[in-house]
Amino acid sequence: MSDQSASLNGTAVGQGRLALRPEALTWAVLLLLLVLPFLLGGSWIFTLGVCFANAIGVLSVSVLVRYGGEVSIGHSFFAAVGAYSVAVLDTRYGLSLIASLPLALALGVVAGVAFAWPSRRLSGIYLAVSTMALALAVPEMINNMDGLTGGYEGLYVSQPVIPGVKMGLQRYYGALIVLALVVYGLSRLRRSRQGLVLLLAKAHPAAADAFGTRRVWARIAVMGISGGIAALCGAMLGFAGSTVSPSGFTLWSAIFLLVGSVVSFYGLTLPRALIGGAFLTLVPQMLSASGAWIPVLYGLALLGVILFGHYLPRLRALARRKGGA
Amino acid sequence: MSDLFRDLFPLVWSGMITGCLYALGALGLVMIFKSSRVVNFSHGNVAGFAAFLIYGFSSGMLMELSWGAAVLLAVIAVIAIAFMTYALISPLVFESDLTATIATLGIGLIAQGATLLIFGADIVSLDLPIPRFGMSVLGLFVTGYDLTVLAVAIVTIAALFFVIDHTKLGVAFRAISENPFAAEVCGLNLRSVHLFSWMVAAVLGVVGALLIVPTTFLSVTTVAAFMLQAFAAAVIGGFASLPGALLGGILIGVLMNLFTFYVSPEFSSTFLLGVILLALNIFPNGILERVGGTRV
Repeated sequence: MSDQSASLNGTAVGQGRLALRPEALTWAVLLLLLVLPFLLGGSWIFTLGVCFANAIGVLSVSVLVRYGGEVSIGHSFFAAVGAYSVAVLDTRYGLSLIASLPLALALGVVAGVAFAWPSRRLSGIYLAVSTMALALAVPEMINNMDGLTGGYEGLYVSQPVIPGVKMGLQRYYGALIVLALVVYGLSRLRRSRQGLVLLLAKAHPAAADAFGTRRVWARIAVMGISGGIAALCGAMLGFAGSTVSPSGFTLWSAIFLLVGSVVSFYGLTLPRALIGGAFLTLVPQMLSASGAWIPVLYGLALLGVILFGHYLPRLRALARRKGGA
Repeated sequence: MSDLFRDLFPLVWSGMITGCLYALGALGLVMIFKSSRVVNFSHGNVAGFAAFLIYGFSSGMLMELSWGAAVLLAVIAVIAIAFMTYALISPLVFESDLTATIATLGIGLIAQGATLLIFGADIVSLDLPIPRFGMSVLGLFVTGYDLTVLAVAIVTIAALFFVIDHTKLGVAFRAISENPFAAEVCGLNLRSVHLFSWMVAAVLGVVGALLIVPTTFLSVTTVAAFMLQAFAAAVIGGFASLPGALLGGILIGVLMNLFTFYVSPEFSSTFLLGVILLALNIFPNGILERVGGTRV
C-alpha cells in the first residue's frame, strides 16, 4: 500500500500536535471503555461488545495489508473457524471460552498457513481472487456440516467464563480484553525482530533475501498471524454476540471487514481498530430500517477513504506551498 | 458403462454451453487485468445491475420498451458506468494496482446496493425472445437456447479477437499489456486504451449475464455468483491470456456440470475453490503457458 507510510507519519504528526503520545491516547480510550458499562444501558453494552469483536477482525485484515501487502476478501472463513470452535465446544462439550479460545487461535493460524501455501509464489491479486472463492465456499461448508455446526439455525453460546458474574458484562469485558491483547501483541510484533523481518520482506524482497528471509516464508507467516487474529475475531463475535450462524460469515461480511480496515486507514492501534469496528457495527444498526443503503454507504465510504488517502499527500503539499509563499 | 456415456455427453455439451458464458465473463476480467493490472471485483455486480435494468426497461417496471431497445439502453448504461468507474479509479491505477482493486469492491458494493434499492430483493425471471424448439442430434438434445448461446458467444469472441489482432486499437491494447512504459514512450495514450478495455469488458459482462439468466432466475446474487465461475476461468487461463480465459471458461463449465451431477450440487463453491487453488499450484501462469509459449 503506497499510502501507508504517509498515514503512519500522519499519526505521529497528528498526535504530536495534540501533545499526546499514541500510547497515552490508547490508555485513555482503554480506561474509558473499562468504566463504560457503569454508565450505559444493557443494549449498548451488547453492541459495544460486538463492536470490539469486529475491531479484532478489522485488525486481522489490516495486519495482512501492512505486513504482507496483500488484500483478502475471505477473512470470513477464518472468523468462521474461530466462531465455530467456540460454539461447538460450548454446546457439545460445555467448555467455556478459556478452553475454546486457544483452540480457535490455533485453528485460525493453521487455516491461514494452509490457505497461503497454494498461493505462496503468486502476486497479491491471485490471493485476493482465491480468498473470494474461499469466502463464497464458507456458508456452503457450514450448512453441509450441520451435524456439527447446526446448519442454518446456528448455535447459541451460553457458557460463562467466570460463573456467577452477569453474562452481559462477561461478553463485554471478554471482547474488550481480547481486543486489548491483540493490539498489545501487534505493538510487540512491530518492535520485534520477526516483525521487522516481515516488513523488510514486503518492502524490499531482494534485501530480505540477502538477509536470509525467504519471501515465501514471510507470506505464509503473515497469513498465519492474520488468520489467527481473524479466528479470535470470530470467537469473540460468537461470545459477545451470543449466536453463531452461517449468515454471519458470507462474502459480504468478509468484504465489510476489508471496508472497516480501509476506513481505519489500515491502522493497528486501539483507536483505529475501534473506528473500523464501530463503522461495521453501528452503521448497520442505524440503517436497520433501510438495509439496501448499507452496501451503498459502505461502498461510498470505501471509495471516499481510498481517494482521500490518495489525494491527501497532494493536498498537504499544496497547502504547504501556499503556506510557505 | 453405456449408462455412463449416455449421461456424459449431454453433460459435457451443456457444460460447454454455460462454459462459453463463463468465458465471456472471464474475457472481460482478463481484458481489464491485462491493460490496467486491476482485478475488477465489481464485474458481476455491475452486470447483474444491467440484467435488472433490462428487466426493468422491458417489463414496464421502469419503462415499457421492446426487448431490443431495453438491451440497447442497458448496454449504454453499463458503458456509462464503466466510464465513471474508470474515471474514479484511474488516479489509483497508476499508483497501486492493489488499491485500485480494493476500490472496485466499493463500486461493486454500490452497484449491489443500487440494485437492491431500485428493484428490491425479489426474484424475477428474464427470458430471451428466442423460438422454443429442440432437436435430437446424435443422441444429444439441442435446444434453441443452446444454439443462441453458442452463436452469440462465437460471434462476440470472434469479433473481440478480430479487433485485438487486426485493428489499431487492438495493437495498442496488446502493446500496453506487454509493456505499458514502452507503449507510453511510443506515444500511446494509456488511459484511452484502459477505457476501451473497461467498456468492452462491461459489454461482455452484460452479454454473459443476459444469456445465463434464462437458465436460472434473476436475483441480486445470481449474476454475482455466476462471476465466481468467470473468476475461476480467468485463473485457469492465467489471468493474463485471452485464449486461456476462453479455454478456462469451457473447462470450468464442463467440470462444474460433471461435479454437480456425479458428486454433489451442494459443494459447488467449495469445488471451485479447490479448482482455483489447484490451478494456481499446477500452472500458476495459466494453462496455455507451456502449450503456446510466451508471446514476446
